Amino acid sequence: MKRFDCLQSLAPLLDEKTIVVTNVGPICREWNSLRPSDANLLQVNLGLCAAVGLGVAVSLPHRQVVMLDGDGNLLLNLASLADLANQNLSNVLHIVLDNESYEGGGGLKSATAGKADLAAIARGAGIVNASVVTSVESFAAAARRGLNRSGHHFIVAKVEQGSVAKLPTLTIDGKEGKYRFARHIEASEGVEILRPRYSHI
Amino acid sequence: MDIAAVDAVIDGLKRAGVDFVSLMPDSDFSVLQERVVNDADFTYVPVSNEAIGVGVCVGAWLSGKRPALLVPTSGLLVAAWPLTSLCMAWSLPLLLLIPYRGDIGDAFWLMGPYKDTTEPLLKVLNAPYSVISKNEEISSAIVDAQGSTISWQRPVAVLLTGETIK
Repeated sequence: MKRFDCLQSLAPLLDEKTIVVTNVGPICREWNSLRPSDANLLQVNLGLCAAVGLGVAVSLPHRQVVMLDGDGNLLLNLASLADLANQNLSNVLHIVLDNESYEGGGGLKSATAGKADLAAIARGAGIVNASVVTSVESFAAAARRGLNRSGHHFIVAKVEQGSVAKLPTLTIDGKEGKYRFARHIEASEGVEILRPRYSHI
Repeated sequence: MDIAAVDAVIDGLKRAGVDFVSLMPDSDFSVLQERVVNDADFTYVPVSNEAIGVGVCVGAWLSGKRPALLVPTSGLLVAAWPLTSLCMAWSLPLLLLIPYRGDIGDAFWLMGPYKDTTEPLLKVLNAPYSVISKNEEISSAIVDAQGSTISWQRPVAVLLTGETIK
């Protein structure tokens, strides 16, 4: 199963207000090519995709939040699964595109190429709706079940290494991504996030 | 941290508009944590390490909340990684409250190394800080730090020492 095919099946399932937090590396480039949107928060560094997604999901419980995580990213900070579970969230679809390797770092094997079972770890952390999928059809079906703020869902999609040819380069950095996302939240939620001060506090 | 200091922290957080608090449960925060948990003005997200706490607060801020992260001096070392890969790399604000264990006057030998790490680490992380030793200064220090972190788009810390953490 190819990661790009999974993401391609996911994109049409999301409405424009669905927030997507992604890992850094090939996942975010593929996702940006499929669903360019300021509701995407791209390029969250190793170990932190789930943590940032947790902060977003708790803060905006009326918005569906999708995390597009990698096995290496999640393995670095597994405790974030426990912290997510304890919030009893109803708006989280946490997808791990598990290629059993550090593809962005050269392709060396991760712990999921050995004995680690992320779905079992997630269940142990308290996430009841945790599953493993190995076909695009089963991935799309599981993703569909996990949307519409139907609970806290965790999907491990077992994918191959490798991306698609001629994938566009991502031309925004974290700073620009921050402004785009924050301005999107300001406009869609009617809140003020970015406000520099012009006088002494 | 005695009740007067806890009262001052809560007052400062509220005056600063903080509505979201994350922390890893720690003895220096036990009374403060209890107050935050039971105060409807705060969304409270406990975390299992301080790196997760930084990520959670970043997500919260980007979603319209006004977060604060309460970090022990030891936990600041754990938080150093996302303070670098998120806050420095993306220019993100974060209000940090740090009970300054290991400051001069802290007799517990195990805290000694944090005198060597805490302030130099904040400087390396491009995170300005105030060192507050009087309870009466806590609330205003938090308000000032919050204004600066939002305006400067980088973390700002308040280090609590002296009578504030006795």
